[in-house]
Amino acid sequence: MTREIRYAEARALQGHRAGFASRVVADAVDLGIAWLLGLSGLLAAGVVRYLLTGPPLRLPVLPNWLDAGTGGVIAVFYLGLSWAATGRSVGKQLAGLRVVDRRGQRLSLRRSFARAVLYVLFPAGLLWVLASRRNASLQDLVVGTVVVYDWAYRPADEASSTGDDPSPRPAPSSTQG
Amino acid sequence: MQNSERALVTLPSELTRPRTRDGRIDVPRLLAAAALGLAVEAQRRSWDAAAMVAGRVGWPLRVLARPAVAFAQGSVAVARHHLDLDGWAARGLAEQRRVQAAAVRAIRALISALVAAVLDEIDLDQVVARVDLDQVVDRMDLDRIVDRVDVDAIAQRIDLQAVVARLDLDAIVARVDIDAILARVDLPELTEQVIDEVDLGEIIRESSSTMASETVDALRVQGMRVDGLVSRIVDRILQRDGQRQTSPPPRELGP
Repeated sequence: MTREIRYAEARALQGHRAGFASRVVADAVDLGIAWLLGLSGLLAAGVVRYLLTGPPLRLPVLPNWLDAGTGGVIAVFYLGLSWAATGRSVGKQLAGLRVVDRRGQRLSLRRSFARAVLYVLFPAGLLWVLASRRNASLQDLVVGTVVVYDWAYRPADEASSTGDDPSPRPAPSSTQG
Repeated sequence: MQNSERALVTLPSELTRPRTRDGRIDVPRLLAAAALGLAVEAQRRSWDAAAMVAGRVGWPLRVLARPAVAFAQGSVAVARHHLDLDGWAARGLAEQRRVQAAAVRAIRALISALVAAVLDEIDLDQVVARVDLDQVVDRMDLDRIVDRVDVDAIAQRIDLQAVVARLDLDAIVARVDIDAILARVDLPELTEQVIDEVDLGEIIRESSSTMASETVDALRVQGMRVDGLVSRIVDRILQRDGQRQTSPPPRELGP
């Protein structure tokens, strides 16, 4: 659906580096998505066990180390695949953000997974956005990524070519999914 | 003169023939008629003789006669003064008018009586029955009549506003039986046709997606504002000068 961004300030900031609040919102949503994915996995396991062993139907209780490890793995796969595919997870889609590399291009799969692992291991690295002059988190500095405002929907191959243009992206005729 | 009277008026036979029904001569009537005829003939001949003499004598006689005429006129003036000729003339004129009025009344009465008698004799229904209206209509050239009618001029002379003003629309509407009309309308079928024409699903999809995208846009722009606010607060705490470098990632910084 093609439509115009009605907010002038939003049009002016398209392509600029995103600030702390938007990224916290996006990451909070992504955390909830990862939790839902883990819950879905537990529910599926419970149903399978019920089908195999019979009642009662209850969620499996994992040991703490396995619980944390599984949750981390789910989050890494979810974030890494999302950023590598479109540059945006569900939370970043909601907040209108996109993760690109320093040239403005789509992340490679390795860089995307590295960023995801770093975020899962040390989420507090996001706080560096407050102090950074370029709105970069510690993970951004380590992996070499940038989070920008990007409300527009575009296919992955187009997103990969946006870095060729250093100027802000033309917003008025942008398309939104 | 008698010839002219005979030509103008048809007299009854008892007046033209002074005889009784059994063939004998009616002597008194014959004598009276003869006297009248003699007087009339004598008057005519005396007029003829006077005209002939006047024509032969010519102007000398007319010159000589002028004094006589003047004298006669003078004597008439004297007689008029002494014998009250005006009074007699007035009586004569009054008598003349009275006789004329009586004659007019008599003629009117006669005419009305005649017309009444004629109407009594005539059966108007029969007369009308004998008129062939179809033949009359056939002989009329209706096309020519219609060609001569200027419909435009007639229409221009019609005051439509006045006509409309005289219409009692309320009364007309009050006479309309809406229930009967509605009973003739197949509402369910009509409704189905309308629903078929309107793509409700598309409308709902468009409106819901528009609402969702508007909500998301509002959330995003609020995030942008909070981003700027947080950045300014932190920069003020850290006592930084100038703006943050949030411009798009430049290409030359890439590996």
